[in-house]
Amino acid sequence: MAQVELKNVDKSFGKTKVIRDVHLFIEKGEFVVFVGPSGCGKSTFLRIVAGLEKPDDGQIIFDGHPETETGPERIMVFQEGALFPWLKVQDNVEFGLKMAGISKEERAKISHRYLDMMQLTKFADSFTYQLSTGMKQRVAIARALVMDPDVLLMDEPFAALDPQTRDLLLVEMQLIWEKTKKTILFVTHNVAEAAVLGTKVAIFSNRPSIIKKELSNNFPRPRTADDESLKKFQQDILLELRPEVKKNLE
Amino acid sequence: MAKNFTPHRIGFYIAIVVVWQIIAMAGIWPDNIFPSPYEVAEDLFYGGADGSLFYGIATSMWRLSIGLAIAIAGGIVLGILMARVEVINQTVGSLVLGLQSIPSIAWVPLAILWFGLTDGGIIFVTAIGAIFAVTINTYTGVKNIDPHFIEAARNMGAKGTQLVTAVLIPAAFPYMISGFKQGWAFAWRGVIGAEILFSFLGLGFLLNAGRSLNDVSQVIGIMVVIMLIGLIIDGVIFKRLETKVMSRWGLR
Repeated sequence: MAQVELKNVDKSFGKTKVIRDVHLFIEKGEFVVFVGPSGCGKSTFLRIVAGLEKPDDGQIIFDGHPETETGPERIMVFQEGALFPWLKVQDNVEFGLKMAGISKEERAKISHRYLDMMQLTKFADSFTYQLSTGMKQRVAIARALVMDPDVLLMDEPFAALDPQTRDLLLVEMQLIWEKTKKTILFVTHNVAEAAVLGTKVAIFSNRPSIIKKELSNNFPRPRTADDESLKKFQQDILLELRPEVKKNLE
Repeated sequence: MAKNFTPHRIGFYIAIVVVWQIIAMAGIWPDNIFPSPYEVAEDLFYGGADGSLFYGIATSMWRLSIGLAIAIAGGIVLGILMARVEVINQTVGSLVLGLQSIPSIAWVPLAILWFGLTDGGIIFVTAIGAIFAVTINTYTGVKNIDPHFIEAARNMGAKGTQLVTAVLIPAAFPYMISGFKQGWAFAWRGVIGAEILFSFLGLGFLLNAGRSLNDVSQVIGIMVVIMLIGLIIDGVIFKRLETKVMSRWGLR
């Protein structure tokens, strides 16, 4: 049984058809990276899976059940983190647990584990404006992981990072995935990032988007962005992506 | 803040008092028209000594607190409803904009007819003068919340009142503080104005009593007290609250 399955998903905004007829089948524990030309609806697609956007047509089947609402079993990590500026780092991380009515002691125990994992323990009492962009994203990832979701949805989470921080988080992300065996759906426009992270890379066509091609990626981990052996795979992605980007510009 | 408390400021106020005293001593106008600062201070001192001044302050503050509390609670509820429910915004929202343009003093005749010359009437005027400022600022605040905050919260399982208390109110709070500040200023004007017209206890009553006794010193003294209380509440409560929230958000 698939962890996430999409059937005939269509979505338009006004007269613009963003995605059409998306079919997808994602196994438990897969790390799928979605790439596509800008404005192709990758983010919309992820928001539909999260239940934050309703498809015009089609179904999202999650663990065998059709889903129409959002819920903590599919946690989204937003591009800008969407951390709450009125809460300290630790309270941000515990937010979902608090909503679930988990006791203060229990919350602290869980959050400490993930703050430690993301090397944020020192910053537990900081407010978010005191953090660098990279640290904010680590808080956002910790806030998602404490919910122990079945699926992690990541919408260009590293787009705003400097290259050094990004490289570090690419390594951390692989470790997290290997440790937690979560199913991860990760959207990016960065081909190198896609090649490093994914067990599978899905390429969106130009708008109205379909998933044009899925490429498997079985290179050994941990991978880094400058692995020579990954260059060929990056070329394969680019080969599929280039004509779509070109169409997008026309 | 601290930087503003320069010697300039202290010197300025001393200068006002000195010039005032000199003009009074010059004897251009009679004492019962233009009293000296000394006479005003003396009047306040007697008011303080026999307790009537403090009783007046306490009465006005009590009415203000109740009225402002009602305005803040009601304004938050109304503002959030307007921001989140489009039908309410289109209906009640337009009425709020209209009602906001009515000066609080204009509610006094209605309040007297409805409540009689009671505390309830004064509190009504105070609350109604302040509520719409809180409402409009809360509405603006909720409308300006980064939609990702709400989405992230819903995604993590927040719904209903949880979403309101854990996200909408704290996220809109920087705007809401402006509403509280405006609301407090309107409430303070409202309570004093209503007390003058109701003429039943409080600082506004003391003002009016001074007028009927031809006691200019009392009138000016009470006005100074009203100003000082305004400065203190503004500076101590609202400035602090604002500074705290702004520094939390890293906005200052």
